[in-house]
Amino acid sequence: MTVSLGVETEGIDFFFNAKGVAVYGASATPNSVGQAILQNFIKPQYTGRVYAVNPKYTTVLGVPCYPSLKEIPNPVDMVIVAVPARLTPRVFEDIGSKGVKAAIVISGGFSETGPAGAAIEDEMVATAKKYGIRIIGPNCVGVIDTQTHVDSFFLPEYRCGRPKSSAVANISLVSQSGAFAAAISDWTSQLGIGISKIISLGNKCDVDDDDLLYYLGDDPSTQVICYYTEGYDREKGRTFFDTARTVTARKPVLVVKSGKGRRARAAASSHTGAIAGSDQIADAAYRQAGVIRADNFEHMFDMAKALAMQPPAKGDRVLMVTNGGGLGVMTIDALEALGLSVPKPSPELENRFKSRLPAYCAWHNPVDVVGDTDASRYDAVFDEALKSDEYDAFVVGMLLQTPSLGMDVTNVISNYQRQSGKPFVVVSMGGAFTTKAGEIMELMGTPTYATGEKAAVAAGALVEYGKIRYGKEFKQTSETEKR
Amino acid sequence: MKAAKKIFETALAEGRTFILENEAKDIMKGYGIGVPAYDTAKSADEAVTKARKIGYPVVLKILSKDILHKSDAGGVKVNLKDDSEVRKAFQEIMESARKYGSEKGIQVDLSRGVLISDFADQGTEVIIGVTRDPQFGHALMFGLGGIFVEVLKDVTFRLIPMTESDAREMVGEIKAAKILDGVRGQPPRDVDALVNVIMSISKMVKENPEIIELDCNPTFVYDKGKGALVVDARILIEGTKPKESSAH
Repeated sequence: MTVSLGVETEGIDFFFNAKGVAVYGASATPNSVGQAILQNFIKPQYTGRVYAVNPKYTTVLGVPCYPSLKEIPNPVDMVIVAVPARLTPRVFEDIGSKGVKAAIVISGGFSETGPAGAAIEDEMVATAKKYGIRIIGPNCVGVIDTQTHVDSFFLPEYRCGRPKSSAVANISLVSQSGAFAAAISDWTSQLGIGISKIISLGNKCDVDDDDLLYYLGDDPSTQVICYYTEGYDREKGRTFFDTARTVTARKPVLVVKSGKGRRARAAASSHTGAIAGSDQIADAAYRQAGVIRADNFEHMFDMAKALAMQPPAKGDRVLMVTNGGGLGVMTIDALEALGLSVPKPSPELENRFKSRLPAYCAWHNPVDVVGDTDASRYDAVFDEALKSDEYDAFVVGMLLQTPSLGMDVTNVISNYQRQSGKPFVVVSMGGAFTTKAGEIMELMGTPTYATGEKAAVAAGALVEYGKIRYGKEFKQTSETEKR
Repeated sequence: MKAAKKIFETALAEGRTFILENEAKDIMKGYGIGVPAYDTAKSADEAVTKARKIGYPVVLKILSKDILHKSDAGGVKVNLKDDSEVRKAFQEIMESARKYGSEKGIQVDLSRGVLISDFADQGTEVIIGVTRDPQFGHALMFGLGGIFVEVLKDVTFRLIPMTESDAREMVGEIKAAKILDGVRGQPPRDVDALVNVIMSISKMVKENPEIIELDCNPTFVYDKGKGALVVDARILIEGTKPKESSAH
């Protein structure tokens, strides 16, 4: 469909849901790009058909190989192109004749190399336009879809892990850099974060950030959209802004943008022109469009995980509940540094806490249920705090090194979270046992972090997105109330 | 606004990409933005007549298609209190402009004379500006004037067009925002008037995208209920030929 913004989502579905894939330039040479890609499609998890195209072979890795697409007896939904740049105009004639509507061009040697490469790219694009073929790339690693197992990454899986989709919630990432796309695939496969799609865009000769932003905004398997960018082409910052404005109210969009250095315009004749750096303007544009900017990948995925799994907060008042005082204080510091409100309970609520907790507990904020607690004190604190409606989000310290705290605390946390509809994030700090406990907590739908600072960043994102989602309905604590 | 288009056409026909201050203020007035009372004069006698009409004290500024940075050319005289000061200032401005021209090896056009403007009462100094970013297009900048912008770079941006709540957020999010609430016993500033100026600039640029840079510096914000005035306005527009670089 063509959207009024100039966004074009027609044909993008084929990149992720292709039931018949041809690898143009499939190769029998071990460790070659053309072989690594083909290998991805002969794994049992990919249930579509795959074909190799290369006049040199009749089969590659047991896959039937054809001199061109025309000879393939069945329909093809998507072609992955891994041939030298100079051959691509001819290859695209073949793609067009076959009636295929989507192509990922992995090869380099196009506009990124200079005018000669740009001319080849233009020719390829013109042919594609003639036949209505959408292109991702060139000069990219392409796409991974964790549900359909379409995977054009030429990085072998033993070197570059592939993430899995989660039954709870999933994140999709669009990256300008192919190397980062690969590193994030590998990294998130280790972290166990649920991923739906990773897309590396390369030269963006056709499909660009805006098309994918709009597509992912409507993609039911993507709960949070993440971007890595190094900047925008001329006027493309503005179109990204316009597209993002139509998406952020229904789905969180996060961005990591590098190139923060201030570059004042040399030729500026006005004061404003001399002060304004492009990055500051990008920063303002993100805020205005409701895009949440993260400082780095670690923060982005800490935020994305929380936003994927939890509802946004309807206000900025956060309660920290913990069985360890130190963790409580550190987390509160981190929450305050992010500008969140961490109010003390009202005298009425304090009395309710006192009536249900041992006298040696602390009931300010953090509420410290102390080291000898079992799950019942957490239960009492959540019960009273939720009834009071004095808090909009909860950060829960769950230090499982203590013998008295059982795994049933995970039940207590996830039950209160679900019943209340308010966002919870958990800190489970420590080694192997606590990490496992964190995984269990996440299977139950509550995002869990290894440090209070990471949990604070996550809570910050839930509050930030609450402001974006709820606008004027969002309950913001004023500076004077915070004191 | 049609008047703005006409002013831009005249400028480009004269080979300049900057808008003269009286023209800039005509455009501002057309968008409902408060500016100190002003007029133009081509001779010392005319300057005196106009100054009396505006009321003393006044400011005189050179108006020439050849001079963008008026102070550099000795083209600004402020706080002139009577007829003789105006007369003297007019002569001095013309002389400095000629000298500036001969140093640069150009014949400075003096036919437009000077701008005469009411010497506005000091208010809280703010800067409102616009730049056109190659990636994001037009963005509006807001900050407090003087050291806040020069040294601390305490400014904030939004893309144009913006909503009124964007404008209010900008005013509230600079680090020195408390100064506008009134500190050290001062009454609060007229933030509503300030927001109106920001919104009008946003509208002006939206309707006239050929504006590539704009400074309202300084803009004075007065006590609550007393408004805001753009004291100095600079507008640069896109040229038909590549823009020549100019230094401060």
